[in-house]
Amino acid sequence: MLRNRKKRLQKFFIIILLSALGTSLVLFSLNSKLDLFYSPSEMLAAEIKPGYRIKLGGMVEIGSIQREGTTIFFVVTDFEAKVPVSFEGVAPDLFKENSGVVALGYYSDGLFVAEQIFAKHDENYMPPELARQEPK
Amino acid sequence: MIGEIAHFLALASALGLILVLIFNAFFYSAGRHANQDILSYKLFHQSCLLIFISFGLYIYLAITDDFSISYIANHSNSQLPIFYKITSIWSAHEGSMFLWIVFLTLWSTLFIKSLSFQHQLKKGTMLMLTIIILGFLLFLLITSNPFERILPFGVLEGADINPVLQDPALAIHPPLLYLGYVGFVISFSFITAYLFHGDIHYPWEKDIKNWSLIAWIFLTVGITLGSWWAYYELGWGGYWFWDPVENVALMPWLAATAFMHSLFASSKSNILKTWTLFLGILIFALSLFGAFIVRSGIIDSVHSFANDPQRGLYLLGFSGFITLISLGIFAYRLPNMQSSKLIVTGSKESFLSMNNILMLTAIFSIFLGVTYPLILEFINGDKVSIGPPYYNTIFAPLILLTSIFIMISLEALWQRGMQARTLLIAVTPTFVISSLILYFIWYFVQIFSLLAYIGIYSGLLIIISYLLKGVISLKNKTYINKGSFVAHLGLGLLFFAVSMNSILSYQKNINLFLGEQQFINNSISEFKFLDLQNIKASNHDVVSAEIFIVHDGQPIFLNPEKRKYFARGQITSETAIHATVLKDTYLTIGDQLDDGSWTFSLQINYFIKWIWFSSALMVIGILMTIFKKKIL
Repeated sequence: MLRNRKKRLQKFFIIILLSALGTSLVLFSLNSKLDLFYSPSEMLAAEIKPGYRIKLGGMVEIGSIQREGTTIFFVVTDFEAKVPVSFEGVAPDLFKENSGVVALGYYSDGLFVAEQIFAKHDENYMPPELARQEPK
Repeated sequence: MIGEIAHFLALASALGLILVLIFNAFFYSAGRHANQDILSYKLFHQSCLLIFISFGLYIYLAITDDFSISYIANHSNSQLPIFYKITSIWSAHEGSMFLWIVFLTLWSTLFIKSLSFQHQLKKGTMLMLTIIILGFLLFLLITSNPFERILPFGVLEGADINPVLQDPALAIHPPLLYLGYVGFVISFSFITAYLFHGDIHYPWEKDIKNWSLIAWIFLTVGITLGSWWAYYELGWGGYWFWDPVENVALMPWLAATAFMHSLFASSKSNILKTWTLFLGILIFALSLFGAFIVRSGIIDSVHSFANDPQRGLYLLGFSGFITLISLGIFAYRLPNMQSSKLIVTGSKESFLSMNNILMLTAIFSIFLGVTYPLILEFINGDKVSIGPPYYNTIFAPLILLTSIFIMISLEALWQRGMQARTLLIAVTPTFVISSLILYFIWYFVQIFSLLAYIGIYSGLLIIISYLLKGVISLKNKTYINKGSFVAHLGLGLLFFAVSMNSILSYQKNINLFLGEQQFINNSISEFKFLDLQNIKASNHDVVSAEIFIVHDGQPIFLNPEKRKYFARGQITSETAIHATVLKDTYLTIGDQLDDGSWTFSLQINYFIKWIWFSSALMVIGILMTIFKKKIL
């Protein structure tokens, strides 16, 4: 009985150890694969290292959209700070000026190079991260 | 008037279900009596019927454009074709929740009908189902009432369905997915009733096996259709994006797959019993968690419905409540459930349980990925999102291990260990052939990506081992489980196709004037902008471009469109896809520049077809298992 219990306890600790190991591995991998979300003023204050992928969210400034060939240039603003953004490709249907946008990409030397752009999904819906910072 | 009748019927149904509960609680101590059972079953079925009638009337209201109903006014329009008037019912929260409940009720009433009157678990299952249906029905009626009127006067014209959702896929993707999700309420309730009843020797597996397999099929087809829809709809991130809502559908799918496997083991050799019971409970718990994630609006996703804390709180509370009941009973019975048999190392079921553990690990990793941003934001206010890189890194090693175990378990026997030497001899050809193929792939494409190569290799291991086994059994006329054979080939093909797709596919952005043509690369030698037309459709304007492409010497005409819908003024893009066996030519039209030229986005997507095909194979495999003469 006692030996049985000891064995069980051993098993129990092995399982605990393994799951702790697994969880920490997962968390470690998670930390290096997070995309932090910033508003323009937060991003400028945070001094982002080049080559560090982040999400930038805000409003597309009125009159800032320019198209050159297949590249789109625009300015994301939170009505405090502004960040110029470039994006190569076809923007989502709901991408337009004075409307919410989230860009995923890299910031370096004053230009945010977006790999992907997400816009609102329909006229009423707004991503929570945008709704939070929209002026009331 | 009809609106009120439909509303009343739904309320009456809730009342009927409450009566079932009160009635049974009251007579519980009085002992079992046949008449009282007959009455409660009747009451249960009639209440279910009321829900169906109520939903039928609701469809009628949608078809006849009753815009005094707030929900219909917000999501439909008199100009819509009837088809979309009906599908608009489940295009947003209230209506889709209604549909969810209708399916919940449908499964419940069918399952209860299928059990014989003497069945010892019939009553317990019915009571559990009653609680669940009632909980969701009250949720619908209290927090998200689809019958709400606009008082005193309705509007003249509806606000229209969201144009992005005006798609035939809306008619099939949500219903099939919901059928899959809620189908597991049967295993959930039945297992809870079984545990509550306490007769642990009752062979419960046989009663719910086929029901679970059918629910699995619906879930698989529903997810695949959603993936296909997201693929051809621009801006939804492609066939799989690890979007939180895709993730919450994948979790029950993984749990259901693990459940299916251990159900076979458990019914065959009476082992893994507790494990199977736990999984059976887990699937529906995860479905409920999914419903909470999607409908509370706490995450940002393509699918999320408007933010409403009240709904989230109710759903979380109710889901937690019934999951706790079920798991509580499970924990209470656990000490009696210890199986006398031990799993033999090296037997088929040992590898099967290894894979179950791996699937549970996958579920846990996804769960962590979905909830981590919420936790982190709660702790220190950082807003983060977790994208594909995390999931790809987690899944690559899991998939490789799973594939190796599948390959070995193919050779292993039930309840018997095997010698390391026999095993080594059996799997060597597979390893050699797979490695050779992988080398050839590298030789031809000259692109290296560790994760993708792990995926390809995993896929190959499964495919080759099954094909070899198939050839051998054909030659020696030995037995092979055909359903399992086809389903696993599908899984291998899925790993292979997804990984190949990820390394081979590419995108080109093109800027052209009307009539101009361009050389893209050696494969696409000509890309010509032939024509641009403005067309008027019943409820939208269309700008349609005609593009001529020479792709690998093959001439292709593609017509990508942009649509502007009248009712909402919303613009949507329609992609044009030319599909061949190996690859899809996928074209979208972008915006017009100030100088009059247009932008296009051209994607060459490899092995997309194979992804759908592999999922079809898995479904066919399970269908073969269901319709096999000898079940169990």
